[in-house]
Amino acid sequence: MLRRRRSVAAATVVFVAAAVVRAALAYGPASVGQPADWPITTALLLPALLLGWLVAVRAPASPIGPALALTATVPALVFAIEDWGTSARTSSPWPLASVVDKVSVGAWPWLFLGFVTLVLLFPDGLLPGRHWRWIWVAMPVSAALVNFVVSREDAARTETTPARAVLIVIALAAFLATLLASASSLVVRYRRGDQLTRQRLRWLMAAAVAVPILLGLSWLAIALGAPGTLAYTWFLIAMLVLVPGAITVAILRHDLFDIDRLLGATVSWLVTTLISAGVFAAVVTTAGGFFPDRVGVTTAAFVTALLLLPVYHWIHRTVGRLVDPDRTVALARIRDFVRRVRDGEAEPEQIEAVLRSALDDPGLRVLLHRPGSELEPPAGAIPLQTGDSVVGALVLGTTSARRVRRAREAVVEARLPIEVSRLQLELREALAEVRTSRARLMDEVTAERQRLERDLHDGAQQRLIAIGMRLRSVQYQLEPGVPAYRELDEVVETLEDTVAELRRIAHGVRPSRLDDGLAVALRQLVADSTLPVDLVVPELDVGESAATTVYFTVGEAIANALKHSRATRISISVGLTDQVLRAVVRDDGVGGAREGFGLTSLRDRVASVGGEFTVDSPPGSGTSITVEIPCAS
Amino acid sequence: MRIVIGEDSALFREGLSRLLTENGHDVIGTANSADELVDVVRAVDPDLTIIDVRMPPTMTDDGARAAVILRAESPARPILMLSQHIETRHVVGLVGTGGFGYLLKDRVLRVGDFLDAMRRVVDGGSALDPAIVAALVTPTRIDDPVAALSAREREVLALVAEGRSNSAIAAQLVLAERTVESHMRSIFQKLRIDEAPDTHRRVLAVLTQLRQ
Repeated sequence: MLRRRRSVAAATVVFVAAAVVRAALAYGPASVGQPADWPITTALLLPALLLGWLVAVRAPASPIGPALALTATVPALVFAIEDWGTSARTSSPWPLASVVDKVSVGAWPWLFLGFVTLVLLFPDGLLPGRHWRWIWVAMPVSAALVNFVVSREDAARTETTPARAVLIVIALAAFLATLLASASSLVVRYRRGDQLTRQRLRWLMAAAVAVPILLGLSWLAIALGAPGTLAYTWFLIAMLVLVPGAITVAILRHDLFDIDRLLGATVSWLVTTLISAGVFAAVVTTAGGFFPDRVGVTTAAFVTALLLLPVYHWIHRTVGRLVDPDRTVALARIRDFVRRVRDGEAEPEQIEAVLRSALDDPGLRVLLHRPGSELEPPAGAIPLQTGDSVVGALVLGTTSARRVRRAREAVVEARLPIEVSRLQLELREALAEVRTSRARLMDEVTAERQRLERDLHDGAQQRLIAIGMRLRSVQYQLEPGVPAYRELDEVVETLEDTVAELRRIAHGVRPSRLDDGLAVALRQLVADSTLPVDLVVPELDVGESAATTVYFTVGEAIANALKHSRATRISISVGLTDQVLRAVVRDDGVGGAREGFGLTSLRDRVASVGGEFTVDSPPGSGTSITVEIPCAS
Repeated sequence: MRIVIGEDSALFREGLSRLLTENGHDVIGTANSADELVDVVRAVDPDLTIIDVRMPPTMTDDGARAAVILRAESPARPILMLSQHIETRHVVGLVGTGGFGYLLKDRVLRVGDFLDAMRRVVDGGSALDPAIVAALVTPTRIDDPVAALSAREREVLALVAEGRSNSAIAAQLVLAERTVESHMRSIFQKLRIDEAPDTHRRVLAVLTQLRQ
């Protein structure tokens, strides 16, 4: 750890020394170069050094810090040597200036030493493999070789011999090969790399893309009449500020902002611009042969404008796939899912699973706002919005700024299924609420009916019978022949009828037969039928509401069959399977039963206990009525 | 005869006691809950116990349970159950035994019939309400032999179950006694019951068969 900081400190010392030497050369008696040169070049070099310190402090284990410092220090040394050499051509040359001048002529390859080191070590501080050590060794060797042959050639001041020309070519080729090999290490890393590595590399790519752009801009500036040094400055800015900057961000804050999109957008913009310019130029050239200038230019602009948008979209997609395949794939999957939801091929509730796999985050959760309850998303959750109301939150299992950004994009894409599933949730909750309240209501009704039935039986009926008995007592005190005797007899008979009537009413309120169980009650029910009935019913233990409902439904179905169907036989089967009480009443009558009032009230009765009621009555082939009631026993 | 009444409604209890007393019986004990009834019957050992099916403590079928307990203690003890409506759950086991009756409460108002029924029960016969018999002789499955009975045969069977003789049945249904006899033969054949001379035992056999 400390070794890294020490090497950064050493590089800083060298840098400061070189800066002092250059300052002395610039503002001392030698007055090398322009007065503004020293501050400009120092300002250009300083960021890389500072970034080196930053990385060394924040990521002390990484050799990237020293490599950044090296990126600043080596150019500082090279510039110092160049200035030193330049002093030979001034009025007050420094000692050994002419020798140093010779050396400095070929010193430029050393400028790349820091970069090659950076590129080879970036982003994890390890070489991509053992063999890459040779590249790293080859760099200073080839730089020294180039420096040697170029300086010697410069010193010879004679015609270049073929042998030396070959040597120069070999040296330069070796140096170039080393550079290319280092650059290729990035490609190797990208192909092998995990998500983090790739993302860090994209930062470097973004900076690298900036280099040609800035170069192009400087050419443009030169074409517009800017001084030639400007081009060099732009290039230096890219090499010495942007690339180290990008590398620092990649190491410390690789998810600073959506580098993938930035890179994708930049690259596609650049490529589109180039293609447009090419199209424009081509059209101007070809049309210029046939038309006067202005027509050619107009045509070119028109054609370019026509091509611009489709070309841009296509390039954008392609670049997106190349630069950031994960994001493209994730969004494409979500879009595909939304399309399937729209086509009814997928359930909107699957959105959570889809987001989990698309965003590669198994811990991801979609929280939906329930009506009537406060949604309290955990800190850092992404709000889900529809219009301007928050309908839920997305909680990520693993968070990073990048993941959050990606999730935000995904949420926008998945707005439809999220909203639909929230609505469905709301609907389900409302339905559940209705069901429970209906069940509560039915339980209350059932209890009320039981009370009423009990009151009828144990209250009114008993009392009437007691009165009847007293009347009988009175009656027997009379002579059997007197009119009062007969009258009392009639009164008691009326009372008997009244009691029977009350019993029927009580039965309608709640069939007390059900006290013996549904099977017994049903047997008694079909015993009253004037048509033959085949009844299959095992001894069942089901709840009061379900039993009452089935009892009445079967009774009503039998009554209907007797009244309308002209049937000759009725068959009834009742059973309990998988906690569903199922009763089927079939007749062999004329069918064609219509939803009359009777059936509708039955349907409501069955629905009130959460059951289903179906009537199947094709004309000419009998009627079958099915009741299915869930019984949580 | 000496009678104990188990009935929670004071009004009904008093009315019944008075009727029975006026007709020359002794009501030697009353109880208005099932537990009390069992104690009273044990204490006084009546000739007949009249029990309401619904009684405290739970007001469901405590009377029937008390009947089962009393019968278990003394199998020949005559019991006449009364009910506001037909429930057979707990007395099914008793229906097929002698000295047992089960009537709807309103039958009390037909004093003569009621006294007859009491007499039959005390003599070890049975007195079952037609409505209750109908509930008991309802076919339960397709292959239930009862399903094979004609409507008329069921009527006859129900009257037999009420403890009536062939001649009484013939009078009731306005049939010749021979016809009733042939119905009976047919019934026993269909129910696969060997004929035996004692009508009562036959009935019990029938009812027992039905309840299996």
